[in-house]
Amino acid sequence: MKREDRHLSDQDLLLDVDGELSTRDEKRVRAHLKACWKCRARREELETTISDFVRFHEGQFEAKLPPPDGPRALLKAQMAQLAGMEPNRSSSRLALLQNLRWALTAGVCGLVAVGLFLSNVGRRTSPAQVAIVSIPDARLTPGAALLVDRRQLCTQPNIKNKAVPFALQRRVLDEYGISRAEPRAYEIDYLITPALGGADDIHNLWPQSYSATAWNADVKDALEDRLREMVCNGNLDLTEAQQEIAGNWIAAYKKYFHTDRPLPEAR
Amino acid sequence: MSFGLTDAAALRAVHLTSVAGPGNSPDWLEEAVIALFDEFRDPLLRYLSSLGIEFPECEDVIQETFFALFQHLRGGKSHHNVRGWLFRVAHNLALKRRHRRRRDSDVPAEARAENSAIDPGPSPEDQAANRQMQQQLLAVVRALPGQDRQCLFLRAEGLAYREIAGILNMSLGAVSLSLARSLARVGRRAKQCEP
Repeated sequence: MKREDRHLSDQDLLLDVDGELSTRDEKRVRAHLKACWKCRARREELETTISDFVRFHEGQFEAKLPPPDGPRALLKAQMAQLAGMEPNRSSSRLALLQNLRWALTAGVCGLVAVGLFLSNVGRRTSPAQVAIVSIPDARLTPGAALLVDRRQLCTQPNIKNKAVPFALQRRVLDEYGISRAEPRAYEIDYLITPALGGADDIHNLWPQSYSATAWNADVKDALEDRLREMVCNGNLDLTEAQQEIAGNWIAAYKKYFHTDRPLPEAR
Repeated sequence: MSFGLTDAAALRAVHLTSVAGPGNSPDWLEEAVIALFDEFRDPLLRYLSSLGIEFPECEDVIQETFFALFQHLRGGKSHHNVRGWLFRVAHNLALKRRHRRRRDSDVPAEARAENSAIDPGPSPEDQAANRQMQQQLLAVVRALPGQDRQCLFLRAEGLAYREIAGILNMSLGAVSLSLARSLARVGRRAKQCEP
C-alpha cells in the first residue's frame, strides 16, 4: 500500500486542525482528506471533541476567578517600589505590627548575630550582584514568635518550609538592601521556623542565599527538626529553643549536633 | 478564550511591538507589564489551577512571575515571545511550590493533587445535562497523566505547540502525540455521554 493510501493518524489530523502542519504535510493531508470520507469524519470528531473540551474548560472557571483589581494594584506597588517611586513603607509596617498576634521574642534582640558578608550588602546593589547571606542581620531580623505553648505546638503537624507571600518576600529583600538582586538567588526563610512557633512577620524573615555552601538551608532544616523534637519530647524549653535559633543558628547547630561543621546528611 | 493559532500569532506580534517600544523608560515599562498582566493573568490563573494549586497560591505565583518579567525587561533581556516566557516561569515556580508542599505534607501527593485539582462544585445555574457531561469530562481529565493534562490545558489557553514544548521541555512530536492521546480519551468519554 502506498503511503498516500493509508488513513491519517489522529496526530496528523490534529496538527491539521490546529494549523501546525508544514506546508508539504498540509498538502499531503488535504489531498488525502479530499478523497477519504473516513478521515474527514474523524477530523470532524476531533473538532467536536475540542469544542466540548473548550466548553468544559470555560465552564470550570466561569465566574469563579477572583477579581484582578487587588493583585494588579499589588503588582503596580511592587514595581513602583523597585523603581524607587514609593519610599514610604512605615505606615504599612505599623499596621502590620498592630494587627499581628505575636510578640517579639524577649531577649532575642540582645543576642549577637554574626552578619557574615553583610558588610558587602548595600542599598545600591546592582541587579547582577548577589550578596551571600548565611546569618540574618539581628537588627532587621531579631526573630518573632507566636504566643503558643509547647502542647499546642506539638499537637500540630511539623510545618516545614511554609511559603512566604511574595509581597512579604519583596519587603524582606528591600529591608536587606538587595531589592534589585535576582529574587531567585535567595530563599526567604523563617528565622524561627513556624514548626517552633515562628511568626509570619518581617522581623522573622531573612534572605538566605542559595549560593551559601556549607551552612545552607538544609543544615538549618536539620537543626529545626532537632530542636522541635527536643521541645516536643520535653528535653528543651520552647522559648529557649526559639532564642537559640534566633540568636545564631549556626552556633546552635554546633551546640546541639556536637560538631563544628555540618553533618553530611544535612547538606 | 481562543483555541486557534491565528489569534496566538497576532498576540505575539502585539507583544513584541508593545514591549519593544521606544525608550523603555521605567514608567512606560510598568504600563506595558500591567497591560500584559491584564491580558494573561486569567489564563495563567486557569492553567496554574489545573496543576492542582489553589487560587490564593496561584495569585502569589502570578505576582512573582510578573515581577520577574518586570525585572527581566528592565535588565534589557529578551522580550521575544513574552507569553511563552510567562507560562514557562509560572509553570516552574508553581511546580517548585507544589514540590515543596508535597515534601512537607503528610498527605500522599497523589491524593492531595486529586483533591485540590479543579473542582467545579455544585452550581445551581448549571444545566442538568451539561452537568453530567462536565462531570464525566472532569473525571477523564483528572485521570490523564500529569504531562498530558498540562499539554491540554496549555493548548486550551491558546499556546502554540512550540510554546508548549518549551514550557514542558518536550519535543514538538511529543506535544502533538500527547494532545492527540488526550483528545481521543476525552472524545471517547464525550461520546458515551451522548443521549
